[in-house]
Amino acid sequence: MPARAETLPAAPAPTMSAPAQTAEALDQSLSPECRVPGSKLYTLAKLKAVKAALKEKRPVRVLSIGSSSAGLGAASSYPVKLENALESALPDVQIDVEARSLPGEVASGAGERLRTIVAEVEPDLVVWQVGTNDALARVDIDSFAEALDESVKWVMSHDIDIVLIDPVFTASLAEDDYYNRMVRTVQEVARREAVPLVHRYAAMRYLSTRSTDEAHMLGRRFRLNDLGLRCMAEHATRAITLSLLQSDPAKPEADPDRTGTATRPATGRESSDAVPRGN
Amino acid sequence: MREPNAIDFWRGVALVTIFVNHIPGNFFERYTFSQYGISDAAELFVFLAGWSIGLATRGRDGKPEPRLTTVLRLLSRTIEVYRAQIVIMSLALAMIAGCALYLDNPLILEWHNAGGFFGDPIQTMVGIVLLTHQLGFFNILPLYVVLIAIAPLVVLVGRLSRALLLALSLSLYGASLVFEWNFPSWPGEGDWFFNPLCWQLLLVLGFLANETSRESPRLRSLARRLTPLGIALVALGFVLAVLELRPDPMLVPEPRLVFTFDKTYLSPGRLIHFCGVVLAFQAVYGLIAPRVMPLARFLSGLGRNSLAVFSMGSLLSLAAQFVRFQTGGGIFVDISVVGSGLFALGFTAWFVEWRARKPRAPRTPPDGAAPRSASPPA
Repeated sequence: MPARAETLPAAPAPTMSAPAQTAEALDQSLSPECRVPGSKLYTLAKLKAVKAALKEKRPVRVLSIGSSSAGLGAASSYPVKLENALESALPDVQIDVEARSLPGEVASGAGERLRTIVAEVEPDLVVWQVGTNDALARVDIDSFAEALDESVKWVMSHDIDIVLIDPVFTASLAEDDYYNRMVRTVQEVARREAVPLVHRYAAMRYLSTRSTDEAHMLGRRFRLNDLGLRCMAEHATRAITLSLLQSDPAKPEADPDRTGTATRPATGRESSDAVPRGN
Repeated sequence: MREPNAIDFWRGVALVTIFVNHIPGNFFERYTFSQYGISDAAELFVFLAGWSIGLATRGRDGKPEPRLTTVLRLLSRTIEVYRAQIVIMSLALAMIAGCALYLDNPLILEWHNAGGFFGDPIQTMVGIVLLTHQLGFFNILPLYVVLIAIAPLVVLVGRLSRALLLALSLSLYGASLVFEWNFPSWPGEGDWFFNPLCWQLLLVLGFLANETSRESPRLRSLARRLTPLGIALVALGFVLAVLELRPDPMLVPEPRLVFTFDKTYLSPGRLIHFCGVVLAFQAVYGLIAPRVMPLARFLSGLGRNSLAVFSMGSLLSLAAQFVRFQTGGGIFVDISVVGSGLFALGFTAWFVEWRARKPRAPRTPPDGAAPRSASPPA
């Protein structure tokens, strides 16, 4: 994936006004409005099933699950974007993205439905945008954590890779303790099960601090939501392609950036290891 | 107005259960019967719909009404249900959008499949009218529209030959399970949450159960004698649900939908469990109704006006979700939202009957479309 617009100045966030050496560089492979430092973007881990599919030179079947994953038939929709972004990041590979919405809460039975969908689609990779419905229903966090963990384990037990995407950032919930615990829970499960995680929350929070000319008729927060949806496909693609570069023997958590940095700007390497992942 | 009776009573039970279960995470959710079995209130609702179609298409003397009357009656009912679905979908989307604006919180726009509408209103608007775009929790009425639309066929074939009706219905059900036929969602991928090709079987079973039990005392006493089998199935379902034991859809043999507990396709496991529920509870109303008359009257009132109560319940449970979200939930909030919701459902039922009862102005031409409280619902 060629780095685009190398010369574009990486606008430092107001909170990160330190000199260039300490501030982490933005991931230049992303389109300008979605640019976020790598550490705010993803946690990497191995993707064995996708790798196997690549080795066998067969199409990679991706199942995209979540609130923005269905109901969108337009060319601009998130699943279509994900497919396009994955295909341009992995040239010569055929990617088939199937998208399904997942009604219901993970904590109360949506995991059952997930199993049915996975059995029906039989994907190599599940990209699961998780937590929104549970957060809206304010389910018990512990039962959410348990159910999510169980679902992730189940998917992995059938030799299918899984990438989690944590919930959206919205300023109206920035101080909401419950919501923050929800986001942390998704991160914890991803870490415990050693699956890649797209830090949608952190990425959007970062983007929210950047000034922009772009407006949304309903105000800043809605613009951010709109942008967040557009960027999510790129961010997920980045996490997937970099996870694919993870070498097999490496322990996923021990050295997540070992080979991942190969495709990233060199400036990102040192600092990204120093930045704590997650919140 | 009909006196309280078993059908309306159980329909009321299904409506209350659906209302409570559609407020996910609330305290009372774990005390609904859906948590303690394989099938749930949706099966009960559709089965009773089939049962009532049998009642509605016969005169008071039990004689089948003329065929054309049946077709027109069910067509008119289909339009009513479709209209209800369009109205509650519009109101639900407006409630979601309004709530997101008022709370300045775009997260709410991602509520159960609503994101599709707000992200792509042009195609999704068409999908809503076609019933192919469904919000989470708002997917029962689209099934109901299809089922009532095919109901004239069910009734007419049933009058011709009950065995033929059952055979046709079972074949369609079996083929849909094996070949995974379903109605598609559009825009967006995937299928209907309630697959009409499978769920039609339950409507037909409800219809046939009413027809045969009306005429054959032998079948009625057979059903009585099978009560212990029903209780055994309910007990088995209870154990499986509590222990969370269910088949792994990746491990079962093909055709896998035959072996899983899938709600969309009404897998045989759910169907068998539901038949057990019917057998186990067939006599319960007669036993408890005299002891809890006010409750029986309340629930029967809901059941008599099921479409209005269901529609209001859908909107009230959505509102309750937002209240729980914004306040953070908790037992006090749950008691308030569920309690006021049940009160509002009771009021809805009363109000619908009051509207039907109230004397019309003398100059107004008779309104044929107005629901007649005397006629059983289809």
